[in-house]
Amino acid sequence: MRRAEILCAAALLLLAAVALREALRLSIGWGDIGPRGGFFPFWLAVILAGSSLYTLVQGVRRRDAGEAFLRREAVRPVLTVLVPIAGAILLIEGVGFYLASFVYLLGYMRGTGRHAWATTLLISLLFPAAIFFIFERWFLVPLPKGLLEAYHPF
Amino acid sequence: MEALANLLHGFSLAISPFNLGIALLGVVLGVIIGVLPGLGGTSGVAILLPLTFVMPPASAIVFLSCIYWGALFGGAITSILFSIPGEPWSVATMFDGHPLAKQGRAGTALAAAFIPGFFAAMISVLLFTFFAPPLAEIALRFGPPENFAVLLLAFSTFAGLGRGSPAKTLASAAIGFLLASVGLDIVTGRPRMTFGSITMLSGFSFITASIGLFGIGEILVSSEEALEFKGVQGTVRLRDIWEVLKTLVRNAATFVTGTLLGFWIGVMPGTGATPASFMSYGIAKQYSKHPEKFGTGVVEGVIATESAAHAAGIGALLPMITLGIPGSPTAAVILGGLYIWGLQPGPALFLEQKDFVWGLIASMYVGNVFGVLLCLFLVPLFALILRVPAPILTPMIVLFSAIGAYAVNNTTLDVWLLLIFGVIGYVFKKLDYPLAPLVVAMVLGDITEEALRQSLILSDGSLLIFFTRPIAAGFMVTALVLFFLPALLPLVTRIRGRMAAQKA
Repeated sequence: MRRAEILCAAALLLLAAVALREALRLSIGWGDIGPRGGFFPFWLAVILAGSSLYTLVQGVRRRDAGEAFLRREAVRPVLTVLVPIAGAILLIEGVGFYLASFVYLLGYMRGTGRHAWATTLLISLLFPAAIFFIFERWFLVPLPKGLLEAYHPF
Repeated sequence: MEALANLLHGFSLAISPFNLGIALLGVVLGVIIGVLPGLGGTSGVAILLPLTFVMPPASAIVFLSCIYWGALFGGAITSILFSIPGEPWSVATMFDGHPLAKQGRAGTALAAAFIPGFFAAMISVLLFTFFAPPLAEIALRFGPPENFAVLLLAFSTFAGLGRGSPAKTLASAAIGFLLASVGLDIVTGRPRMTFGSITMLSGFSFITASIGLFGIGEILVSSEEALEFKGVQGTVRLRDIWEVLKTLVRNAATFVTGTLLGFWIGVMPGTGATPASFMSYGIAKQYSKHPEKFGTGVVEGVIATESAAHAAGIGALLPMITLGIPGSPTAAVILGGLYIWGLQPGPALFLEQKDFVWGLIASMYVGNVFGVLLCLFLVPLFALILRVPAPILTPMIVLFSAIGAYAVNNTTLDVWLLLIFGVIGYVFKKLDYPLAPLVVAMVLGDITEEALRQSLILSDGSLLIFFTRPIAAGFMVTALVLFFLPALLPLVTRIRGRMAAQKA
């Protein structure tokens, strides 16, 4: 936990530095119509830098390492959730939402859940179909159709 | 009695078949969101926000607020039957609710959550109905300095009343404000913080951020422990309702304290139902004749937490609608919705958008009636959702989140941002950075900056303007006291301790 705390505070400090540079570039002084564009971000960056520095120092001064940020046996379960999410987003971008959700549900239910093929197939087909009717037809929220665009019946 | 006439008009809008249907749908979805442990009210409302883009604003607000009421009811079901909080505000309900359920009195525990929750909501809506118009009238006289002072007060309540490190709260709020400032400068219209990128011109959406931080982040946190929903069966019988009503009368003081305290905490900007339920539980325990029994399954423990949570949920919308400042993270997302529908939240709504405001107030009555009836009679059905295995639920929640994020700008970029915010939410949750200030700051960033810059233009750059105008000064002083409260409290106890030592 101690190392994660220090790393996170350092990352926030870096973010503050980037924001600070940008604010200074925009100029933080007084312009024709009051404070300039960099004025507000500048003070926020200062606050962020100050509070992160405080957390960082606290972390460094702490002697004990505390419990691990991520226990060794928890790494796998977190990754088996995280990696498929990233994969699904990649698929949404590539082949559209409907095919992606079919593949994602199929893979996740079969791979992680070890559900029977029949249930898996049924849900993986019904879910995108339900989404189509609810979002696309009733609430008029268009979703990326990707490969299916050409076969779009409406 | 202008309020009464307006309210009647509001009811005539709220009970149109379309709005009734929308309210019912909202409550059902809300209860489902409330029951699911991985999906909270804040991210739930954010995910469903795109559905309102095609509705008239008056129906859209009914839909979103009814999701909130539904989630308030639904969280208790998971806490009591499964001993897993469905929502953060139902953690305290678990303390006594689950022991009751294990003793075979699940029905009583559920009724003790729903019925006092419903009554507390009704009392709060009444308070709301008659407090909101005069408050809005006062707020109408606010200028930029007063607005900025109120906004500052909202953020200092986070730091002062929140648990955990004030430095982390401050960092979280600052990140939110910085993210909000990306895009076009609100005063001059020039691009800033975009680093030359065109996609960053449109800025970051609070919808993507709140779904990612609260929704995806929560999924990642809970994935560490293989959740197994081993619950108790429960149905509410008439006998249970009768028993709860009798207990309610005997513990009227607990109920009334919980409701009033909850409403007040809800109205305080930025806090919401979660701290309200904990505080109410603490007070009920302290003033009980048998505090040692708390935690083993006492009905009034459930009454205390749920009445406060429901009252706070209603209270949280009061500053949102009258001042344009959300009383809770979920209210912040609803507030963001108002901007998207093209409304300017704040006191002017009471003059210009009467249908919108009074339709919302009327729907609070309607939505809570739906909520209590659905929950009392359909508990077994809702509990069934938790029997759906996690490998089916997780991808579905992720896909809904993806739709919510995509629909903001119709770009897949937002879906990637969703994942990034999810990872940030996961890390922040583990390191105890509060997430609510970040989301509230993203929603309020633009108006806060505008109020500050306009005030400084008025005063030619002097910060004294916040202290020379009486109303602004009052808010500023309160804000500063609240902000430094965590630093002042240990000092006070130390002085007290020294004085006591001298006496001895």
